[in-house]
Amino acid sequence: MDTLVQALINGIAVGGFLTLMVLGFSIIWGVMGVINFAHGEFIMVGAYMAWFARSEWGVEPLYSALPIFLIMFVVGFVLQKLVVNKVIDRPHLVSLLVMFAVSIIMSNSVKLIAGADFRRVNSDIQRGFWELGDIATIPRKHTVVLVVAIIVLVALQTFLQKTRLGKSIRAAAQNREAAQIVGIDIKWVYAFTFALCIGITAMSGALTSTIIPVFPFMGPPWALRAFVITALSGLGSVKGTLGAAMFLGLLESLVATYAPGSSGSQLAVITAFGLLVVTLVLRPQGLFGGLRPVDAGGH
Amino acid sequence: MNKSVFKTIGLVSAALLVAMLFFLPMLGHYGNDSTLFTVTLLLASVGTAISWNLTGGFTGYVDFGHAVWWGIGAYTTGVLMSNESEWIPQQWPLVPALIVSMFFTALVANLVGRLTMRLSGPYFSIAMLGFFVFFREVVRVAGPLTNRGIGLTIKPVINRPLWYYITLIFVLFLVYLSWWLRRTRFGASLIAIREDEIGAEMRGIDTTRNKVMVFTLSGAITGLLGGMWAYQNTFLDPDIAFVEVRTIDAVMGTMLGGLGTVAGPIIGMVFLFVLRELLWTQESLLQTHLIVQGLLLGAVVLYLPKGLMGLVRGEVAFLDRFRERSSTFDGMESAVLEAQESPISDSEDEHPHDPVALHPTWDGRTS
Amino acid sequence: MRKRLRLALALFMAFGLVAAACGSDATDVVDSAGEAVADAAESAQDTVEDVAEDAADVATDDGAEDDATAEEGADTIVGTIKIGAALSETGKFSVEGKDSRQGYDTWAKWVNEEYGGIQLPDGRYEVEIVYYDDESDADTAANLVQRLIDEDGVEFLLGPYSSGLTTGASAISEAADVIMVEGNGTSDSMFERDFQNLFLVATVASDYTKSGIEAFAAKGAKTAVVAYEDTSFPTAVANGAIKHLEDNGIEVLAVETYPKDPTDLSPIISKFRELEPDIFIGGGHYIDAVLFTNAADDVGFAPDGMLITVGPSNPKLIDELGDSVEGVVGPTQWEPTMAYSGEWLGSAQDFATRYESYWGEAPVYQAASAAASGLALHIAIEQAGTTDTAAVREALRAMNVDTFYGPIGFDDRGVNTSKPMGTVQVQDGAINVVAPDGAAIADFSYPRGN
Repeated sequence: MDTLVQALINGIAVGGFLTLMVLGFSIIWGVMGVINFAHGEFIMVGAYMAWFARSEWGVEPLYSALPIFLIMFVVGFVLQKLVVNKVIDRPHLVSLLVMFAVSIIMSNSVKLIAGADFRRVNSDIQRGFWELGDIATIPRKHTVVLVVAIIVLVALQTFLQKTRLGKSIRAAAQNREAAQIVGIDIKWVYAFTFALCIGITAMSGALTSTIIPVFPFMGPPWALRAFVITALSGLGSVKGTLGAAMFLGLLESLVATYAPGSSGSQLAVITAFGLLVVTLVLRPQGLFGGLRPVDAGGH
Repeated sequence: MNKSVFKTIGLVSAALLVAMLFFLPMLGHYGNDSTLFTVTLLLASVGTAISWNLTGGFTGYVDFGHAVWWGIGAYTTGVLMSNESEWIPQQWPLVPALIVSMFFTALVANLVGRLTMRLSGPYFSIAMLGFFVFFREVVRVAGPLTNRGIGLTIKPVINRPLWYYITLIFVLFLVYLSWWLRRTRFGASLIAIREDEIGAEMRGIDTTRNKVMVFTLSGAITGLLGGMWAYQNTFLDPDIAFVEVRTIDAVMGTMLGGLGTVAGPIIGMVFLFVLRELLWTQESLLQTHLIVQGLLLGAVVLYLPKGLMGLVRGEVAFLDRFRERSSTFDGMESAVLEAQESPISDSEDEHPHDPVALHPTWDGRTS
Repeated sequence: MRKRLRLALALFMAFGLVAAACGSDATDVVDSAGEAVADAAESAQDTVEDVAEDAADVATDDGAEDDATAEEGADTIVGTIKIGAALSETGKFSVEGKDSRQGYDTWAKWVNEEYGGIQLPDGRYEVEIVYYDDESDADTAANLVQRLIDEDGVEFLLGPYSSGLTTGASAISEAADVIMVEGNGTSDSMFERDFQNLFLVATVASDYTKSGIEAFAAKGAKTAVVAYEDTSFPTAVANGAIKHLEDNGIEVLAVETYPKDPTDLSPIISKFRELEPDIFIGGGHYIDAVLFTNAADDVGFAPDGMLITVGPSNPKLIDELGDSVEGVVGPTQWEPTMAYSGEWLGSAQDFATRYESYWGEAPVYQAASAAASGLALHIAIEQAGTTDTAAVREALRAMNVDTFYGPIGFDDRGVNTSKPMGTVQVQDGAINVVAPDGAAIADFSYPRGN
């Protein structure tokens, strides 16, 4: 067994699921200027739906992920119309607080319905490992998530580049008013973007429910990671998100493996957040592409 | 009625209130230790909100990691007063420990402020959140000094009425400080930074120095409050000393009350407190009180953008009023004022124009 | 009632300060203040009335009870002993909080409905437990304990869940000279503070793994690795484990810690796999057991023995993880199958049956510890013959009884050192006690799966 190879594999495995988790957060912030404080709660809801599908009907999370995406797409659309639309033009602090309120409501409602117990989703597909000769092992559950993450990334990138709607989203992100002048229905674009991102986020929750523990208050640590990765990657950057998530996954894995003493895991966390601070101070545009402040309000 | 009559009424009732707070411990059963404990905690959270408001409200820098100062202050007191720290096993007396806590937190806040106060808007907020987690984990691994994750215990020898008075006087002082600060040149320069930082710079205000100063002050206040909390709680570990909820409460309270006003944080924290007590005591709402609280918060933020202070002044916004921002500078609208920028960066393209050249704030820094 | 006063005060303060600070438009200040004062006065009035009503109620109740308990002669209910507990109904400890509450209630229900009330020289006393939700927050727990003492006038306290909350809460009860008996805050550091009024019916954290490690050593294990969450309770358990490992001649190859809210423990487990230890010891809370087992599955880490601090004794873990936890060993404060019994609440199995009939689920040891805390207090009050704090404290100190939970006897620190910690192993999907020998119902299987 080779420690370095194993550390790299673990890092990529973690990077894969972080990518899928963070994508929606980054795009909502980038396109709409809304900091989705309830991001972790959408992951949580997706995970609970996967848990329910698995325990009630025996459906693998890999198969329930698509229906969950569609359901949460609709939920996201409605939420955007009802709530987010009202704050989209206000400074980011306002939207942040509204989304914070949404997160409190969501996590406590789920607790009321499903209880506070920890859940873990069993899966036959996402279980066990492959042996890479004598060198290392590759966990299956992470690999499945990584593959899905790559498919989603490619699909999303193609969608943004090639389709009319995708181009509208980019245009709206670049310059809201100019986009409106050329006849883009900005409200529709925002609603679609939000719905899409909530769908992806819930789907990531469904797939990672086999990896991480599921409970009503699981959200905040993941929202915090989304901040870190978004700061590293640049807002709304699809490729940047992949790069930053992989970078963070590898860094944490290497530090956790090679740090002396018994505090490797804590040092990994310190490194991650230290990196966040250093990045913001020294290279505010992010490590992977242009990070430029987006704030609602326009000119 | 004219303004001076209001003022007189206000001052008289404030004086009455302060008198009532001072006599609270003498009210027998109503001023028992439990009431004093509750009011002490409320006062401490009011103090935290006031200090948050100095940077978040007056200066317009929304700090999402403010509770880090509480944690650092608490741990400094804990390390000095507990005998479980290997490096500093002596048990210091309370007063020197608190003084050291305040100055040490001020020092750290000063160093952090020099780094983060250069960032604008959301980046400052996130960087502070990063520092919050960073310091919590540092405390956890700082083995012999902080007793790691096990935490520290302090001898419980509290005199609750005395402690109540100490907290009360300190928080009254903070209210005065915040009121006074707004009327000084320094306070005016902070407001100027919030309204238009580049303009302020051009008018010869040393914005960086002033920002770091107010940030340090804010950190020192919260650090002292944290130290005081550690003493009365008698036990701390990284997870109860560094709590996100303290930041969230300070932000929420100040927003509810009215950002950037002297009375805002006080009213907001009291309102939050009353709300919680009301929901909490209803047996039927025990399971749902956080949901109700979330709904109320959402409603207030959506419909009362200037907080309760705005309501008192008869300004209730039922509609989006974002386009009036330029003239309304008491509320949250002004707190974060930056240029909108383009975000999706993955288009094959580089950026057609160089935003930095046009707008100095666009690279994420303010100067 | 008193809360309303506080509320009124708070509102008053708010309006006063708005008015003073901005000096404008505070038209209602005087009115509000007036109303607030009136409210407060009304509340005070209400309180007096309530007390009178309560007294009347008690009188009527007594009449009714007289008939019901006629056969017990002088053993009529003459009063109520008020006991307080802050427990987590919301927040991260809500599951364990619920278990603890059901445990306390099992005891209280039994005392009131079957036992006939706590026996004191002047008659029998019913038990009333006043609960508050501490939201799993240390500040709130401490505040609530103060409120229970000062406002609800409780005479005794039962502990909250977790060491973190109990440490702060017990400091309050110590200062107020109120006895707190608890079973779910076991960190050693809590009992190194020379407190007079804190009693723990459970085994302290540092001894959690003792009987398990001795069993491993007896089967010939030579090397071990240890991983634990870097918080108060798991650290105390792990430090104890490292000491017991050394005492039993097992070499500790590596120790790893990780922060709360771990995302993935694969890196630690991968590192351990390289060391090829005989046994793995993992410390944490219930969720950590899930994470350890998952990570071991994912990287192919299969040592001969696995001991996980919290989890293996909980049937839920087997439901969730299936054969992944086969052969995993864990400490337990108590199991229904243990051969303990006493004159109160019967045997361990009797307790489990009763608990299940009340709540529709099997008791976990946290619930049994909670019920045993109530029982220890109960016995002490009866032995003291009074509810006087000093007398009950002396009775607790001198206590030496057998109960469904095992023997209870407190040392100078207030820790129950009479009861050994048990060790269970998951065997064919069942949780069997395998150590210590006295309590074991099955053979210890080592290496796992043999």
